[in-house]
Amino acid sequence: MPSKQVELLQGTLDMLILKTLNLRPLHGLAIAQRIEQVTRGTFQVKPGSLFPALHRMEEKGWLTASWGESENNRRAKYYALTKAGRRQFETETERWKQISLAVARALESN
Amino acid sequence: MVLLARTRSLIRNLFCRRRLDRELDREVSSYVELLAEQKFEQGLGREEARRQASLELGGAAQVQEEVRRLRAGEWLRTFGQDLRFGGRILLHHPGFTAVAVLIFAIGIGANTTIFSMVNGLLLRPLPVDKPERLTYLLARHERWGNGFSYPDFEDIRNQTGDAFSEVAMAELFHMDGLTVGGKTHAMWSNYVTTNFFSMMGIRPALGSFLIPEADLAGSEPVLVLGYSFWKNQLGGDPEIVGQRASMNGKAVTIIGVAPEGYHGTFNLIDVQGYLPLSFAGTIGTTSVQTDSGLADRKNREDRARYVGLILARLKPGVTMGKAQSVLDVVASRLRTQYPDIHKSLALRPVRLGNGLTNSTGENPLPIVSALFLTLAGMVLALAATNLANLLLVRALERTREMAVRSALGAARARLLRQVVTETALLVLMGFAAGLMFGLGGSRAVSSVPLETDLPLMFAFPFDWRVFCYSLGAALMVALICGLLPAWRASGVDLNDLIGDRARGLSPRRHWVRSLLVISQVAGSLTLLIVAGLFVRSLHNVQHIDLGFDPDHVINFTMDAHHAGLDEPQGRQFYQQLLERAHSLPGVESASLSQAVALGLYNFGDEIKIPGYQEKTGEPRPYAGYNAVSPDYFKVLRIPILKGRGILESDTESAPHVAVINQSMAQRFWPGRDAVGEQFTLGQDPNHLVQVVGIVKDARMAELTGPIEPFFFMSIAQNYTPLQTLQLRSSGTLAAVSRPVLEMIRSLEPGLPVAEVQMNQVLDGPDGFLIFRLGAGLAGALGLLGLALAIVGVYGVVSYSAAQRTHEIGIRMALGAMPGQAVKTIFRQGVIIVGTGITLGVLAAVAIAKVVASFLVGVSATDPLTYAAVSLSLAAVALLASFVPAHRAAKVDPMIALRHE
Repeated sequence: MPSKQVELLQGTLDMLILKTLNLRPLHGLAIAQRIEQVTRGTFQVKPGSLFPALHRMEEKGWLTASWGESENNRRAKYYALTKAGRRQFETETERWKQISLAVARALESN
Repeated sequence: MVLLARTRSLIRNLFCRRRLDRELDREVSSYVELLAEQKFEQGLGREEARRQASLELGGAAQVQEEVRRLRAGEWLRTFGQDLRFGGRILLHHPGFTAVAVLIFAIGIGANTTIFSMVNGLLLRPLPVDKPERLTYLLARHERWGNGFSYPDFEDIRNQTGDAFSEVAMAELFHMDGLTVGGKTHAMWSNYVTTNFFSMMGIRPALGSFLIPEADLAGSEPVLVLGYSFWKNQLGGDPEIVGQRASMNGKAVTIIGVAPEGYHGTFNLIDVQGYLPLSFAGTIGTTSVQTDSGLADRKNREDRARYVGLILARLKPGVTMGKAQSVLDVVASRLRTQYPDIHKSLALRPVRLGNGLTNSTGENPLPIVSALFLTLAGMVLALAATNLANLLLVRALERTREMAVRSALGAARARLLRQVVTETALLVLMGFAAGLMFGLGGSRAVSSVPLETDLPLMFAFPFDWRVFCYSLGAALMVALICGLLPAWRASGVDLNDLIGDRARGLSPRRHWVRSLLVISQVAGSLTLLIVAGLFVRSLHNVQHIDLGFDPDHVINFTMDAHHAGLDEPQGRQFYQQLLERAHSLPGVESASLSQAVALGLYNFGDEIKIPGYQEKTGEPRPYAGYNAVSPDYFKVLRIPILKGRGILESDTESAPHVAVINQSMAQRFWPGRDAVGEQFTLGQDPNHLVQVVGIVKDARMAELTGPIEPFFFMSIAQNYTPLQTLQLRSSGTLAAVSRPVLEMIRSLEPGLPVAEVQMNQVLDGPDGFLIFRLGAGLAGALGLLGLALAIVGVYGVVSYSAAQRTHEIGIRMALGAMPGQAVKTIFRQGVIIVGTGITLGVLAAVAIAKVVASFLVGVSATDPLTYAAVSLSLAAVALLASFVPAHRAAKVDPMIALRHE
């Protein structure tokens, strides 16, 4: 286990999920593993937070879910971005860039 | 977009819950399977791969619950759960539930009943167009009153165009006889100017209303029927309009029916017919003078002749202040124009509101209403404190349950919500039951038997105002008594479970409950004292020395006009009636009179006494009177003290005579023998009346107050078409009643007769009724208060005794005697009850000041009532605290120590 694992900030998980699904529809496990992979293990998404987040985002209309076949022919629930989800991803990205820039500046100043 | 998605998911969550849960379950297990598959491919054994995958998931149930908690509409589901759970808890404690609901229902029921009365008497506006714009006028001569003469009405109408869009006049209602379709009905009618209905802004249910153009002298004899009279007495005949009928023997045409619900301008009387004002004297005559009324120009122009009320509708945009200033100008003009009559005239507009209560300007109803609403409010407060206490006790009992649930992870907000839901359930049930009580209560009050000929509307219907008031009262109670215990119950510190507080030993909680009991004792004492004052007052009224004997006397009132009899025919009819009545079996004595003692009509007039000069500032000599036949004093058993009574020889042609009462003799001929003296009546200055006898004072006009000067004249010398046959029976009144009615029918078949026993007259609106109602209502509220206080005191003291079982056990184990334990608990009760009683007496003194004007023969601070009520309440309350104290002391120390 990587030691530099950190707690997810509020709202970060949503953004990471949106980002992951922006490429193509994925099922829950794939989403979690993809996030872990792209953040090089910094963020480990546990099912206990993954599923509530997915369902909440689905209820908000950002995601749609449908049953499909996995790579090894198992049934799994696939999540995909909706139009609203794409818009949300864009605004989130914008916001996140601003925040990280602001925080970076704050840290760099003496 | 987002909103749409939310709504869609909300609906889905609510209605497809099962499917969603199944899908969630499948999704989570598919996650585990996929993960296991990966681990298997990485080289783990199939079993081991599954195990590790499950471990990584971290509990399927928890994950699913997490998802469920986030779903839209979740609160609705938990609310449903709370509701079901609350319902189960209440069902499992049927005793607690029943008592709580009952207490709540008593509080709400009492308030609903009282408020429905206040609503009926004060708040329901007249069913007319913009009732808030309607006013009536008061005039001040010597004091304020609402009677006006016709010329004054014309002047006011013509000079107030700036303030009023319409000014109408209405004579006070009185009884007429309407013969239609061969049947004669007694009818209480109202004589009005022709613009009366257009001023009210109502449309007829049938036909048309009086035609506004017709002037006083030339209008046709037409009649508009009251709706309920048309419906009930005439069977709602749809062909009634246009029918000819006869009113007191004179032809009239029925032209219309007033709309349903409209009952005239009085708030307690249902007027049954409306006629043009010009017929006030010609058709309806129950007044003493049998002149031609307003049809006669002389009367129409007589500025000193009282005719009726003035009603006026404010012009749009005109305020009461503006109307007042316009009236001020008119009044000052009238003062200078007619200084002899209008020396000190002032005019004042008053909002008609829900109608006139009586013929004077003053309306006692707002004060009475406020008083009873306050008393009912105190019952509500008592119920609320009782309920608060019950819930508090239960909250303490549930400390453990709450602590356990909170330890199992229930959020504080969730616990609070649970308790609030339960309280809300109780409140809802209590409110429903309270409404039923209130409905029953207002029905009971509406059906109080009224022994009167008047078409009284003593009905207090249940409308939206009553509902809102009850709802408001229920919400108040719910807020007061629901939140406090709820907060306490949910705010349990887990440590409390092991600490002292779990045993109810916290002094803070004792203090809160003691305060509750103190306020209960104080509140119920106030209620009981006020009730006691009313009951004593009723007792006094019922034991007033009337000066006559009402037992075994029965009255038959009729109006010869109703059969179309003129004066000679009427005299002959009454003569025959009296002769035949005397010869009926069972009749001891019989007499005729113009008015009934303490009855509906009272007559009086100014009198002139040669040589008598009133002192300055004193009103001119005035006396009440009645015209009677010779045996009147025998029937009522009024003793003749001096001289003689009325005799057969006092006929129409003989000199006019009067028998006066003691008060009159002392007032106008002090220190002299009044017999042989003479006086004249203001209305009949041509006949000198000679005093021929003095009778003992009797209450003829009013039940209370000093007995005023009164005299009796010979009815033969003062014929009136309205007469009452009074009989004293030697047997039962029921046996006399039928033969008399048959006898009257044989003489005049169509004549309406009102039959009332003298005792019932005394129970009527001018007699005991007001006192009886007041005492009944106050007494009922007081008893409710007492019941609530007893339940409250007993409940609190017995609970605190039970909570102290542990403490008592230790004390007794350490050698305390049972008596001492009793004393400890009992002393607590004494302090609480004593404080409550002191506060209650103080509150009662404050309220009694308002009550004072409704009490007869008892002071508002009557020490006997205060002492008796306080002592009995103290005794009851102490008994209520003694029982649990005694029980606590009988506890075996070992059991007490093991307690908990």
